[in-house]
Amino acid sequence: MSTVAPLLSVQRVTYRYPGAPGDALRDVSLEIRAGEFHAVLGPNGSGKTTLVRVALGLAAPATGTAEIAGRAAVAWSRRDLARIVGVVAQREDNLFPQQVRETVLLGRYPHLSLWGAERPVDREAVTRALERCDALGLADRWIWTLSGGEYQRVRLARALAQEPSMLVLDEPTASLDVRHEMDLFELARGLVDAGGLAVLMITHHVNLAARFADRVLLLADGQTAAQGTPRTVLTRETVERVFAWPVAIEPFDGHPQMIPLRQRRQPREPA
Amino acid sequence: MRRLLFALLLAVACRPTADRLSVPATAHRIVSLAPSSTELLFAIGAGEQVVGRTTWCRYPAAALRVPAVGDGLNPNVEAIAARQPDLVVLYRSQMNETAAQQLARLGIPTVTLAQDRLEDIAHAARELGRLTGHQPAGDSIGAAIETLLRAPTPATIARVTFVVWDNPPMVIGGGSYLDQLATLAGARNVFHDIAGASATVSIETIIARNPDVILVLSDSTAPPAYSARREWRAIRAVREGHFIMLPGDLFGRPSPSAPAAVAALRHALEVRK
Amino acid sequence: MRRWLGLAGLVALALVSAVVLGPAHVALGDLTSSEIVRSLRVPRALLALLVGGSLGVAGASLQALVRNPLADPFLLGLSGGAGLGAVLAIALHVAGPWALPLAAFVGALGAMALVYRLGLVGGAQLDPRVLLLAGVAVGAFTGAITTAIVSLAEAADLRNAFLWLWGGLSGASWDTVLVIAVYIPVPLVVLYAAARPLDLLALGEEPATHLGADVEPLKRRVYIAASMLTAAAVAVSGVIGFVGLIVPHITRLVWGHHHRALLPAAFLGGGALLLFADTVARVSVAPRELPVGIVTALVGVPLFAVLLRRWMGPRG
Repeated sequence: MSTVAPLLSVQRVTYRYPGAPGDALRDVSLEIRAGEFHAVLGPNGSGKTTLVRVALGLAAPATGTAEIAGRAAVAWSRRDLARIVGVVAQREDNLFPQQVRETVLLGRYPHLSLWGAERPVDREAVTRALERCDALGLADRWIWTLSGGEYQRVRLARALAQEPSMLVLDEPTASLDVRHEMDLFELARGLVDAGGLAVLMITHHVNLAARFADRVLLLADGQTAAQGTPRTVLTRETVERVFAWPVAIEPFDGHPQMIPLRQRRQPREPA
Repeated sequence: MRRLLFALLLAVACRPTADRLSVPATAHRIVSLAPSSTELLFAIGAGEQVVGRTTWCRYPAAALRVPAVGDGLNPNVEAIAARQPDLVVLYRSQMNETAAQQLARLGIPTVTLAQDRLEDIAHAARELGRLTGHQPAGDSIGAAIETLLRAPTPATIARVTFVVWDNPPMVIGGGSYLDQLATLAGARNVFHDIAGASATVSIETIIARNPDVILVLSDSTAPPAYSARREWRAIRAVREGHFIMLPGDLFGRPSPSAPAAVAALRHALEVRK
Repeated sequence: MRRWLGLAGLVALALVSAVVLGPAHVALGDLTSSEIVRSLRVPRALLALLVGGSLGVAGASLQALVRNPLADPFLLGLSGGAGLGAVLAIALHVAGPWALPLAAFVGALGAMALVYRLGLVGGAQLDPRVLLLAGVAVGAFTGAITTAIVSLAEAADLRNAFLWLWGGLSGASWDTVLVIAVYIPVPLVVLYAAARPLDLLALGEEPATHLGADVEPLKRRVYIAASMLTAAAVAVSGVIGFVGLIVPHITRLVWGHHHRALLPAAFLGGGALLLFADTVARVSVAPRELPVGIVTALVGVPLFAVLLRRWMGPRG
């Protein structure tokens, strides 16, 4: 148990959307410290995105507490919070054409004063962020010319330009191909190892999460199904129960990998 | 076969217009769809024969007793037909052509009269006189206006402009009956060169043309509201308060009272000096 | 830097031509002493600059707020409210030279409040798409009431009220300029302060929140400030279309989506455009005058078509 104060601390929160029949989250806890890579897994509708919203103060829990750097998440001003946490949301709808450097520069907003202009230190932060994401070569491109994988790296660079202590990534590899998926996970891992960042990633990719994350939270129906290291969480019984599908768990490189099994089915009788 | 076709074409081509065909010798139930024609009908003594008017027809006072059939700008054919007219008097315009056709289909005779300028009123007076059995009265009014128009143009005793609206500034041009009245009264409309009945102009154009008097169609004696505004006071006539108010009953539309209107305007201009 | 000099030069040229040119001939030597120039042309030119500028900034801000580059300040029902206010003032015989503009202003604000209320879905959140729909609905509604009043009433004055609504700067005087000059700085400053957050809003409300923007207060402030600018413009000069729509697009071609540069550029650009359009309106059919809204449309539509092709081009 580390004695360093957690960056993000969610203790036994319960949350229900207004007008919903059941709780979206029930009695869920999560602690993230610097230098840790956490993955949140679970089937659709298990409460992953809700958890992140509560953790970041966008929704107030009915019971339990959510704190960032020791202060209640809802008490943070959005600007101050943006200096600590960089978020890459699931979707972004950038209507207007921009160049990469411009869009990454938007990440400096929390550090700019109301009337002041962008300073050299801001432009340097942008360059550094692009470098860390291996996207410096894209700096002068227009964003509509980028591939999906390149655009994701640019969004990550924007979050890094905020110079946060923690990154929150919501399904960042959805619709990316193998190469770009691996790229992104390696990138995230590298930021944690070299930069001391904390990373919270929501993902469907159980196997990559198992290989890259330090700790895993598996949600089912808004409740914690299992929490801990990948090896302790990803057991056949747990996974089968949560995902309602038969699997085999095979080790690879010291990490458990989930392999979904085919259902034994009778061939269909012709009608 | 060809001869039959030709005869058919001839018959169709020569079909007379409705108003020529079935207009009665003397109309007894007349619906008038323009203030000028309503006023004319009463002026020639055919007031008793008017059974319908528009809501804008308010002169003379006796006309108010006649039931209204709508505002007349887009004629309400049903309301008109409900009055069971044997003649409908229309003001010449695009929209009224359609109304005339609709009324013809219902078997109601119509007559369309231009009513924009004084000579139109003279002609309308004679025509309506003939149609209503008041020919002498109609001819007399027509002759009076024609005499007025034929008289030599008097010398100009004042340069004027009619301002009908302030934002945007709208003035009367050479095409309007008001311009005619002014000329006959010895006033020169500084915007006579504009061909239409009215036009939007800049205030600076009014200043440049420097009228002596501003003529306003108004039944009250108070100067118009815009005379207090700073940009209007740049016009000399506004600044110095040279307004002449023209009451609606004489000046509101081209009317058989044109001779009286001209005399009233001339008097007002002379008294001003 | 050169771009700003170019724009400043354009504004200067527009101002000079608005003062020197006009339906009444004023010799160059007489310019400073001429009553026409001092009392009419100079205040009218200044008013065109301020009104055009306000519409340009309001348009740019609203396009960022509703995240739709085809938004125009008059999409939000304000013109309908202004027209209704003006017509009611005439119908009720409200006296005074400022009656019409004040009534139009109050009507526009009423429409703004109604659209705002309708745009609040689920309690506290302002949904820009609903805002647009509500604006169109309120505009249609007020337009219908106005038309009904005008067609049922009997005063000829009421029909002329519609002419005012078509847009024109003939009501310009030093008094009008003073009122507008005192009024617009506050909304302009509010919008300039919102310039950076508007850049963020272009990414979407959620990403903007994560980047540190307070999205709900931002939307409220921008909507109210842009509406106040538009309401004042309508009150003094009727509905002048296309300026708020076109000018942000043109300035975006040069300054991009950086609102801290775009908003001032839109102000200057809008002012220049309206100045040129008004000069054309006054001079082209002298002694008559065209409604300036017609000139901005005649210039704006082809310009817009060209821009649309450029805009759709790279993304296509």
